[in-house]
Amino acid sequence: MAIFFKLIPHVLSWVGIVLVLLRGLSGHRSVVTAASMAGFVIGVVGAFILLGSFPGSFSFGIIKSALGVSFLLLWGVSVATIYLSTGRRAAISGGGRFVNTKLGAGVVSGLAGIVAGAVCACRLTGTGGNALAVVLLALAAGALAYALVFAARAVDRLLPASFTVSMSGMLAAVVALLLFSSSSILRLDLFSPLSMKVMKGVHDFVHQFMESILIPDHLFVRPVVWKYIGFLFGKEVGFWGGMVIWFTPAVLIAMAIHFERLPSVAHIRQGAQRRRLLAAAIRVQRFRLVIPVLSLVIFSAAAYQSSFPSVEYWDPKPLPVSASQAGEIVIPKKGDVNLEDGKLHKYLFKQGDSEVRFFVLMTPAGKLTVDLDACAICKPDGYGQAEGSVICYYCKTLIPLETVGRVGGCNPVPVPFTEKADTVVVDGMTLLNSWSATVKATARVKEGGK
Amino acid sequence: MKRLLLAMVKAGSSWTITPLVIGLFFLIYIGIAFFTDETLIALMAFTRKSIILAALLALIPLNSAFRILRETGTYLTIRRVLSGKKADVMPELFDDAVELPASPSITELESRLAAEGYRTRRSENTLAAWRGISAFPVRALFLAGTFCLFTGILVSVTTRTSQRRMVIEGEPLPTPEGTGGTVDRIALANSSGSILSRTLTMEVAPSGSGYGKSVFGLYPPSLYGGFFVYPRYLGIALHFSFFAPDMPSGYETHCTLNTYPPGKEDNAIIPDSPYRIIFSIQEPDAGSDRYTSYMTGNITLRFKLLKGKEILFTGSAPGGGKFVRDGYRLALPDIRRLVVTDFIRDYGVLFIWWSALLFGAAICIWLPIRVFFPRREMVFRYEPDATRACSRAEGGSRKHAGVFHEALDLVDARKTEG
Repeated sequence: MAIFFKLIPHVLSWVGIVLVLLRGLSGHRSVVTAASMAGFVIGVVGAFILLGSFPGSFSFGIIKSALGVSFLLLWGVSVATIYLSTGRRAAISGGGRFVNTKLGAGVVSGLAGIVAGAVCACRLTGTGGNALAVVLLALAAGALAYALVFAARAVDRLLPASFTVSMSGMLAAVVALLLFSSSSILRLDLFSPLSMKVMKGVHDFVHQFMESILIPDHLFVRPVVWKYIGFLFGKEVGFWGGMVIWFTPAVLIAMAIHFERLPSVAHIRQGAQRRRLLAAAIRVQRFRLVIPVLSLVIFSAAAYQSSFPSVEYWDPKPLPVSASQAGEIVIPKKGDVNLEDGKLHKYLFKQGDSEVRFFVLMTPAGKLTVDLDACAICKPDGYGQAEGSVICYYCKTLIPLETVGRVGGCNPVPVPFTEKADTVVVDGMTLLNSWSATVKATARVKEGGK
Repeated sequence: MKRLLLAMVKAGSSWTITPLVIGLFFLIYIGIAFFTDETLIALMAFTRKSIILAALLALIPLNSAFRILRETGTYLTIRRVLSGKKADVMPELFDDAVELPASPSITELESRLAAEGYRTRRSENTLAAWRGISAFPVRALFLAGTFCLFTGILVSVTTRTSQRRMVIEGEPLPTPEGTGGTVDRIALANSSGSILSRTLTMEVAPSGSGYGKSVFGLYPPSLYGGFFVYPRYLGIALHFSFFAPDMPSGYETHCTLNTYPPGKEDNAIIPDSPYRIIFSIQEPDAGSDRYTSYMTGNITLRFKLLKGKEILFTGSAPGGGKFVRDGYRLALPDIRRLVVTDFIRDYGVLFIWWSALLFGAAICIWLPIRVFFPRREMVFRYEPDATRACSRAEGGSRKHAGVFHEALDLVDARKTEG
């Protein structure tokens, strides 16, 4: 039963996508209906087979890449749209003409259906798949797609004819709905990784910029000035920068429609008629603004869902451990805690004034890994575990369980250890040094150091 | 030849070049981000090594230069049209153009437009009206800024060289191309500036190779032998001697230590022995400047003497002092100020500075013009039995269109009356 509730955001998104496609490609309603339904079924079945054949980050990566490409496409289209709206006579509107053909309408609807279906199928992970299951799933997906397309067509008939949708507005809405649908699945979410990349990108850019134009280092700069520069290195910049990138395409499309030049009425000599024509053009323009503005609302919902996911993280209280005379921390594999149960097990090691948080985890490949509860980039807020990944609490980046234990990015910093038959042994000094080096470096980032 | 030149300007000044190139670099950036965390550095390295990427990047300043040419041409043409010096009004240069089969009284139209706040100019068969200030000079500044910025980035990415040297008080300036004059003085002082809290000056005596006396500050960095002198960090140059019971011949050396801010540790290894000395600078008293010791030159070093992993003892000694215990002897005859300095050859920096000035000027001028005095123009050219009218606006276009339409109504009414 729970799965049906979980499917609600995807179902709503799918209805929205079909409705927008029917409006935007109103000349090819039957093509849109058939192609989107077929695409949805292909997407569900294809993703189901993919996830069954390659469980783990590879399959999710493919679907996430498709979502990323659609977002990039939206960016390209929005820039072209605002550029064309300024009256520049650039010949870059060929894509719009193609979409308006029967073939174009079919391709766009089919692709939107495939991605929407694939996102839906990600809810079914963990289900074993044989040929019969695939056939049953295809039938169920087909029935669901048919019912939902029928509902979308019914809503479409209720809308006034003057409610038109521009090509770019249609794309904005479709992408917004796809991202809204995917934002409820942690491993497909795009907004949090985007924020993290922006945080890192801004940090690199500011650093390179300051080096490029030979700005003196922080020791010479007034602390209050450095505080402002330091703001650019924080997670807030990642979040707000991510928001800018997230919303800009829809804003650009809305602006392009708003600033579209009104038709020339200079040749008409009756003032009343001129005003009537202009008023009609402005009314049409306002109708066409509805979808981009709605897209902004949907993008907001997706960003909210991503920032405050309704997921409970497994985050055990760190267990205190101490080192032996030889400086070794020995953790039994079985006992109060079973290190091989695939869950994150956190420990706290104190020595003098220093303390270190670390965890032990069995990866899906069956290998134990010992890592700091901190990464080499962010403030050490630690990690929680959910849906085949661990999440960095500071920047909300998801790290697939398969890659925990590898260095780089926002991955937890791995610590060398020795695995024995019944125990895991970690050197206390190594742990302290590793924590001290990591936390020092990330604190410098936090304070705005270069 | 002229036709070829015009074709080149047209192609080079295309609106699509800059966004396409920026978009392409953005895509490459995203692609690189999948493989490395040092995305920007990797992209810069690729651009430096790849002629194709460098050539692509060069298209942006080239495009800006061509746009300046083209937009200057358009601006001058519009001016000539408005002044009546050009026979053809060239409707393609305007937002709106219309032709009416009437030839009205110029005087009446002129006074109507003047009443609306437009300035007018009459020539033989043309009436031009305008108000506000043209944004063209600002646009030219913006394009020049874009040209400088991307030229700077291109030059910087493809030609920058950076070499780190230790500039030590009392020693010759170690430039990448040999040595310069002696560094007479390094001075760090507190500053009351709004951006910088400290000033650093390095005074260098004239050199035998022809350089006069030079003083290097923090910003903007000065040039010396074609290199920008970019001070990075502070440190000390130490001359010390060490004797241990099992090293009766002792060891004496000069070394540089990266020990600022106070508390930061750096070490000196005694070769062919198990000894290592970890130095740091004593933290000043609470409330006093952390860099007081560097400013005054009264530097007291703390040290830890290690034999293998074992700490034998710790202590401290000022410059010129010594420390003796249990047969060990550590003397610090000389401590000097040092600045870790990068010598950077990069003329792109000059372009980037210029671009900042141009963009700053452009935004300061553009904002008031756009808000309060947007340029609005219209021109009426009279033929024996027709009037051709054109209009354009850089802002306030709806109000301007209203005035234009009423002017056309007036022309049309006179025809009807006639």
